[in-house]
Amino acid sequence: MADDRIGGYADALLAVAAAEGTSEVVEDELFRVAEAARASESLLTALGDRQLPIERRIGVVEDLLGPKVSPTTTALVSMVVANGRGADLPAIVDEAMIRSAAGRNRQLARVRSAVELGDDQVQRLAQAIKTRTGSDVEIRVVIDESVMGGLITEIGDDVIDGSVRRRMSQLRESFN
Amino acid sequence: MTHTIRRTAGAFGIAIAAFVTLAAPAGAAGETIGGCAIEAAVYAEEAYGSLHAVEEDEELFKKLEKEMESCLEAPSPIIPEVDEIIWGGAAFAVLFGFMAWKGFPAVKGAMDDRAAKIASDLDAAEQAKVDASQVKADHEAALAGAKAEANQIIEDARQQADQLRTDLQARASEEIAEMRSRASADIESARSQAISDLRSEVASIAVGAAERVIQGNLDAAAQQALVDAYIEEVARG
Repeated sequence: MADDRIGGYADALLAVAAAEGTSEVVEDELFRVAEAARASESLLTALGDRQLPIERRIGVVEDLLGPKVSPTTTALVSMVVANGRGADLPAIVDEAMIRSAAGRNRQLARVRSAVELGDDQVQRLAQAIKTRTGSDVEIRVVIDESVMGGLITEIGDDVIDGSVRRRMSQLRESFN
Repeated sequence: MTHTIRRTAGAFGIAIAAFVTLAAPAGAAGETIGGCAIEAAVYAEEAYGSLHAVEEDEELFKKLEKEMESCLEAPSPIIPEVDEIIWGGAAFAVLFGFMAWKGFPAVKGAMDDRAAKIASDLDAAEQAKVDASQVKADHEAALAGAKAEANQIIEDARQQADQLRTDLQARASEEIAEMRSRASADIESARSQAISDLRSEVASIAVGAAERVIQGNLDAAAQQALVDAYIEEVARG
């Protein structure tokens, strides 16, 4: 039931973005907003707190996003939060990204990096993943300084961890 | 008892009455000095014709005088008169017969009753003695039983106390062993935890130092090199 609701919201987001003709931009903005909410527990709690008045929650969204994103993205996030599903926003956006990529016969690859990746690096990484898995992928890069260096790629349930953080963890485990 | 006393008293009464009745003729047959002298004078007058003749004959006079003097002589203190013997013997025979007929059976009956009563009393005393001995024996047996039971109770209590002491000692030993084992386990656990904490601490310090060194050395070029190395590694599968 919860998966159906999240899927429904994901389809709604994609449908509105497509109707506005700004799917690529809106999806990218939604992805970044969802990652920001996932990274901030207090923000996620504020967006999902049903005890707060709707106007207050929407006000938080508008103050947070404001001119940084398109009006469509702000409206879509406000819609989710106004319906009391702010806590599910990361899951809804993830599902929307997965379905959007699936619509283009691709798999969503979430890549965590400590630094911005260039287009060339993204294309080479997509090609490398295709070589390894045999599937076309759509890469979404998340800047995460805790990675320290290298990359962490998540494709569905598979994780390819080549980060310095993992090396440090291995080093820490070797002491125990 | 009352019957025997009554019969004895009756026998004594009859004996006394017979004695009084039969003693009276014996008393009447008794001879006085005067009577004896008169009898001697009468005898001399009849034998010699008159007392005057006797007085004139010196030999007869002396004989009469001797007869009269004999009247003055006391009767024998030992040998009774014949009539006394006869009366006394008859009275004795009557009395003896009466006593043999009534008195002796009554006395014998009273004595037999007394003897029977004494024998009965002796039997009763003997029975009482036997009963007392039996009671004493019973009491001694009961006392012996009570002593034996008391000794058994004391022995049981002593055995229970010994068993309890043994159990307590065993339990205490077990508890001590368990406490030692638990203390050893706690010490070992604490030691392991301390070693683990120390290792973790050392690892944190070492890894933190390594992270600081690495972050200090991860410039843009190094980051790009790591990304390129990662892409190549993924491509190699």
